[in-house]
Amino acid sequence: MLKNRYAVPVLFLLFFIWSVIRTGFSIRDLIAGVPNLSNFIGCMFPPAWDTFVPLISPAIETIQMAFLGTVFAVALSMPVALLAANNITPSKPVKVFARSIIAFTRTVPDIVFALIFVSAVGLGPVPGILALAIHSVGMLGKLYAEAIEEVDPGPVEAVEAVGAGKLQAVHYAVIPQVTPSFVASTLYRFDINVRSSIVLGLVGAGGIGFELIMAMRLFRYHEMLTILIIIFIVVMLSEWASNSIRAHVIGEEVLK
Amino acid sequence: MLTVDHLSKRLPGGKLLLRDINFSVGEGEFVAILGLSGTGKTILLRCINRLTTPDGGEIVLTDNGTPLNITQSNASEIKEVRRRIGMIFQSFNLVKRRSVIENVLIGKLGRISMVRSLMRRFEDDDIEMAHRALNRVGISDLADRRAGTLSGGEQQRVAIARSIVQDPCLLLADEPVANLDPTTAEVVMEHLRSISVDNGISALAVLHQPELARKYATRVLGVRDGVIVYDGDAGLSDDDFETIYGSNDA
Repeated sequence: MLKNRYAVPVLFLLFFIWSVIRTGFSIRDLIAGVPNLSNFIGCMFPPAWDTFVPLISPAIETIQMAFLGTVFAVALSMPVALLAANNITPSKPVKVFARSIIAFTRTVPDIVFALIFVSAVGLGPVPGILALAIHSVGMLGKLYAEAIEEVDPGPVEAVEAVGAGKLQAVHYAVIPQVTPSFVASTLYRFDINVRSSIVLGLVGAGGIGFELIMAMRLFRYHEMLTILIIIFIVVMLSEWASNSIRAHVIGEEVLK
Repeated sequence: MLTVDHLSKRLPGGKLLLRDINFSVGEGEFVAILGLSGTGKTILLRCINRLTTPDGGEIVLTDNGTPLNITQSNASEIKEVRRRIGMIFQSFNLVKRRSVIENVLIGKLGRISMVRSLMRRFEDDDIEMAHRALNRVGISDLADRRAGTLSGGEQQRVAIARSIVQDPCLLLADEPVANLDPTTAEVVMEHLRSISVDNGISALAVLHQPELARKYATRVLGVRDGVIVYDGDAGLSDDDFETIYGSNDA
């Protein structure tokens, strides 16, 4: 018993020490780097306000990438989730296939999809949208399927008992039950996609992220700070928007 | 109009729940099924509209002189059978987030085209019929409310309206009043009886209270150990009672 009690902390400590040595993480280097860091940050001030207005357009592009990526992801995830849910799937092989799609799209990071699509269709927002759409299926498909599996089977049975088909039963009895949870999951994914689309811009998939990496490579530090400010505003705005929609939907639940 | 012949059903574990069920229901009869909990009364009802597939025996429904073999039906024939059979559930089974009127219109889903049903567009005649059905069960003022906001008795009345709109020849009711208080239960039973009588619909209801059976049913079937042990008048004598439920000290 004594052995087991110490096993986990000891293993944790050993792995921690090994990781520190192997990655060369040292506090001394960090302290030595502080002047460089402050020098770099100093170079960014003041922000180049004259670039603010021209940068609004790529910022909007970033939001639109996230929006379209999420919309396409929803369209892809719904059928996949229905096929993956235990209570709706037509057969076991179909379920396994649908779950493999979900697992695969979740496992491959969006940036890898973006790199593949950039080489396939070239620079710009389109590969970013495709990458977000496909990677999001991994999360939305899983959350949707879980929501579908939790529905009350009673109303589904009642619809089937009047002689309606499976598709009608899904449409009339499953969808209404999962709507609130679908809305919440989708908005959550939209928030994530706004942030992801910035990162995807760094690998050439358009939007404000692309402007950020360009400014960095051209040593335009003042412009970089402007971009960081805009990113901050974009993220705050999208979170505010999705919170408002969520509150609206949940508020409706409480009222009615 | 409904004939059940040598029906048997095994539980997934292998236990024989329905052993050998034989009975028939005539035009316009209101038959109550009584029996101890766990004797397969619900399974029996579910075999009749094929929500459950029986293991043996035969069920035949005769509607307008056309016999439909329920036990031999394939998937599309099962839909045809179900269209003619209304079902009332213990837990009402309404779609809670949809309006009352849309829940009633679900009764029409077996008879309208797939495209129309997926667009959630119903014919004016059908909507009119749904409103009339709500009016019949006395809740026409609730048509636009969300179903989930209604009381239990109101929800069960919506479910009855759903079955009226379906225009079935047979109504199955699985413990329709088990979740309701005694007063509301009487109201719901009264509605069930009146649509059975007025529309000439035969009804088969699993009930838990023999008093309700005595009051509303025209006939009682007693199920025990997987067979029908009583088939007769709804006014049960003490002996009949013991035949169905066993002696009090058992």
